[in-house]
Amino acid sequence: MEIYPRPLENLIEQLTKLPGIGQKSATRVALYILRNQKGLAEELAKNLLEVKEKIRFCPTCFNFTDQEPCAICRDTNRANGVLCVVEGPGDQLAIEESGIFKGRYHILHGVLSPLDHIGPEDLKIGELLGRLEKEEIREVVLATNPTTQGEVTASYLAKILADKGLKVTRIALGIPMGGDLKYIDPMTLRHSFNSRITIEP
Amino acid sequence: MEAHLSPSIIMRVHEFGESDLLIHFFTSDKGRLKGVAKGARRSRKRFVNCLDLFSLSNLEYELKPKGELHFIHSGKLVDAYPGLRHDFSLLSKASYMIELTEILFPLGVPDSRMFEVLEAALSQLAQGIKADLTLIAFELMAMSLGGYGINLEKCCVCGRDYLSEGIAAFKVEKGGIACLKCQHISAVSPQLSPPTVKALKTMQSPSPDVFRLLDWAEDLMEEIKPVLKRHRDYHLGKHLRTADYLE
Repeated sequence: MEIYPRPLENLIEQLTKLPGIGQKSATRVALYILRNQKGLAEELAKNLLEVKEKIRFCPTCFNFTDQEPCAICRDTNRANGVLCVVEGPGDQLAIEESGIFKGRYHILHGVLSPLDHIGPEDLKIGELLGRLEKEEIREVVLATNPTTQGEVTASYLAKILADKGLKVTRIALGIPMGGDLKYIDPMTLRHSFNSRITIEP
Repeated sequence: MEAHLSPSIIMRVHEFGESDLLIHFFTSDKGRLKGVAKGARRSRKRFVNCLDLFSLSNLEYELKPKGELHFIHSGKLVDAYPGLRHDFSLLSKASYMIELTEILFPLGVPDSRMFEVLEAALSQLAQGIKADLTLIAFELMAMSLGGYGINLEKCCVCGRDYLSEGIAAFKVEKGGIACLKCQHISAVSPQLSPPTVKALKTMQSPSPDVFRLLDWAEDLMEEIKPVLKRHRDYHLGKHLRTADYLE
C-alpha cells in the first residue's frame, strides 16, 4: 500500500536514484519541496533541464562548460605550456579554489581501474597526447589522487610522456599541514621522506 | 553485537553518501565481507590510509543489526603493497586475483587458507618479480581452494593412477587428466607433460610458501596457460572482466 499520494511517491522514487540519497533522505527532500513555494519546484525543474541541455564537455580540457571552449581555456592571462592533469572536474575546482595554479588543465574523467573495467582507452589520454604538440606543452603536472588507482594512472602517464621531451612532475605527497608525525602512517612517512626538499636558508 | 578485529585485504572501495566509504574486504577469519566506514573520506584518525585498494589492514568492525552490512569502526594499515601502485600491469593482475576470489568465495564464507594465499600473492606481485608465474600459481591455488582443482592423481576416464611417467591429456569437462588410451591429444584436449603435471600439483597445493619458490621454465608455462584458461572458462562459466587487461 502506498503511504503517500502517487505523485509524491513518484518524486521520492526518482530522488532515491540519486547517489547518496536513500529512502529517508528522498522523503525529506520531497516533503520539503512540497511544503515550499511553487517557485522552488519550478526553478529546480528548470535548472535540471537546463543542466542537461546546456552543459557539455569543453572540447579542449574536457571540463564541464556551457560555452566552447570553457572559461579557463579561453582565459588569455593563464600560463600556456603548463598542463595540470586531474581525475575529475571536482579536483580541478579544488585546485582552482586554492589559486595556486595558473596554467591549463586536462580532465581525465576517471582513473585506471581494471576492477571497474576502466582501461586507458576509457580515459581522455589520447586527447591529452593530442594537446601536447598542438599547445606546445613544456610541463605536465600529474595531480591524480594518491589512491592505488590514482598513483597507477600517474605512473602510466609518466611512462607515456617520458619520451616526449617534456618535464613531467607529480604533486607532492606526504604530511598534511597541521599534521602530527605520531599519527602519520608508515606509507605517508615513506612518501614524505622520498619527496623531501632542500630548505633554502 | 560485538566488535571484531581482523587482518583484512581491501577488495573494493566505493564512495557512499557525503563522506562515507563502502568497503568490500576479505578477512582472515570471517571470509569476504561488506562494510560502511562512516566519515572515512574525511577522517584523519580512524582510517589513515588503511582503506585503499588491495591494502592489508587490521580492521575493527561490527555487524549491523539487520542485513549483511558491517560498520567499520577503525583500521590500521599493515602493508599497502606499494609496488602495485606504480605499474598498470601489476594492478591488472591484482585486480584479476580479487575478481577471481569474489567469484569463488561468496560473502561470509570463511577460508583462512584463501586469505593467506591472497595475501602472499599480493605481496609477491608487489615485488614485481615473476608476476606471470605468481598469477598462474594464485589462480591454481584459488581454484583448488574454491573446489575447482584439476584432478591430477588419476585418469578421469578409467581411474588408473597417474604415475608421472607419460604424457597425459587434459579433459576439460571432467576437470582432470586422462591417459592416452582414453583420450587423444587434440586442440580441445591439450597435452600435459610429466614436468607440467608436477608443476601443476605443486602450484595447486594451497601454500603461501609456493610463491617464493616459483621457478618454472617458460615452455611449462606455455603448456599450463591454455589448460588453465579452458578449465576456468568451462567450470566458472563466466568471463572475468579484469582478464581483458592482462595481455
